[in-house]
Amino acid sequence: MTDFLKGYDIQYWLESAAQGYLENTEYGHQAGEREPDLLLEEDTLREQAIDTTVQLVVGERCALAASSGLINAAPDEASKRFLATQTLDEARHVEVFTQRLYDLGVKPKELEGVLKDRANPHLVKFAEALLEKVDKKDFVAGVVGQNIVLEGMAFRVFEMLQQGNAEANPKFAHILSGTIADERRHVGFGENRIGSLIREHPERKADVEKLQKEMTYHMLATFGSQFGKGPSPKQMDEIMADHGAKRSGGEWQGVKLAEASPEELEAVLSDTILKEFKLRLERIGIEYQTPARP
Amino acid sequence: MSAQEKRRRFELDDRGFNEVPRKYRKYYRRWEGPGDKLQPNEMLCPVCKVVVRSNRELRPGDRLYCMACLTRLRIAEGANDELEAEVEY
Repeated sequence: MTDFLKGYDIQYWLESAAQGYLENTEYGHQAGEREPDLLLEEDTLREQAIDTTVQLVVGERCALAASSGLINAAPDEASKRFLATQTLDEARHVEVFTQRLYDLGVKPKELEGVLKDRANPHLVKFAEALLEKVDKKDFVAGVVGQNIVLEGMAFRVFEMLQQGNAEANPKFAHILSGTIADERRHVGFGENRIGSLIREHPERKADVEKLQKEMTYHMLATFGSQFGKGPSPKQMDEIMADHGAKRSGGEWQGVKLAEASPEELEAVLSDTILKEFKLRLERIGIEYQTPARP
Repeated sequence: MSAQEKRRRFELDDRGFNEVPRKYRKYYRRWEGPGDKLQPNEMLCPVCKVVVRSNRELRPGDRLYCMACLTRLRIAEGANDELEAEVEY
């Protein structure tokens, strides 16, 4: 079942991550890079950046707790070792996004309060549901929840954030590039592990479909409610004009990110997230189940 | 000449993909989005969206490994005579 992990070992992880894309980085970005002055000076933008980063820290704390908890639930040695590397990846993500909150002006003693006040309630609910499965040492549920639902969806969000910040905020874009590279392994593990399980034990298909149905709602609701926040394109134009600056941002899935409204961003993200999520499930051999509002 | 002999061969260069160990980097590149065009020796990994490159033209039945996400792929004939990658679990 874990044949796909044959070529994977800690040495590979070291050469790819620590000695590869993370070499010479500081908290995930290049040495000396800092948040743009405009972001630090303009309250609306800084608040929005703090809010987005809080969700990243909360999501990554959940992934850290889940991946470390799953090590002892994994039925084979290869999966345990993979999850050990994923645990370190997730701990690094928690650290780099927390450091970004500090860089944005959050004081260390305020951190827990800021996270508690600003965490998206749907994301908190998702974390609770996932960690309940992990506490019960339910390996399959944990991998479906973490590596397929949480990371499969977050992967595209990170890509969009990375493209949107490539010009305007290279520091944040570099942090996200390293995170995306880690996520590739995590989603690969989830898809291969559950895909092979379904091939060998088709009787587990209904279980996995039920898990997906249970766990998808809160992730989709998180994305939906986050995009309702933040300044409108008009407000952004005014902020930028006040500072004599122009909006800049890359293009993602044919949408000019700097010019798109929150609704347009939500639409393109929902379309790509859900479309690709369904395709991922289809490849694994399970049928997407529309989640019911809990 | 057999079909195997007719295959075009490609010299691979390092395209800056630094997510795998150094000696394998030339076999991968980043996908540049909807405007990107795959070469006959390239295939997009459906799992992690990295372009996997071979030093020969791809044909149905070929197998590739996406080291970025640990996925084994098999090349298949897709719609409109285009090649596509199927994941081997």
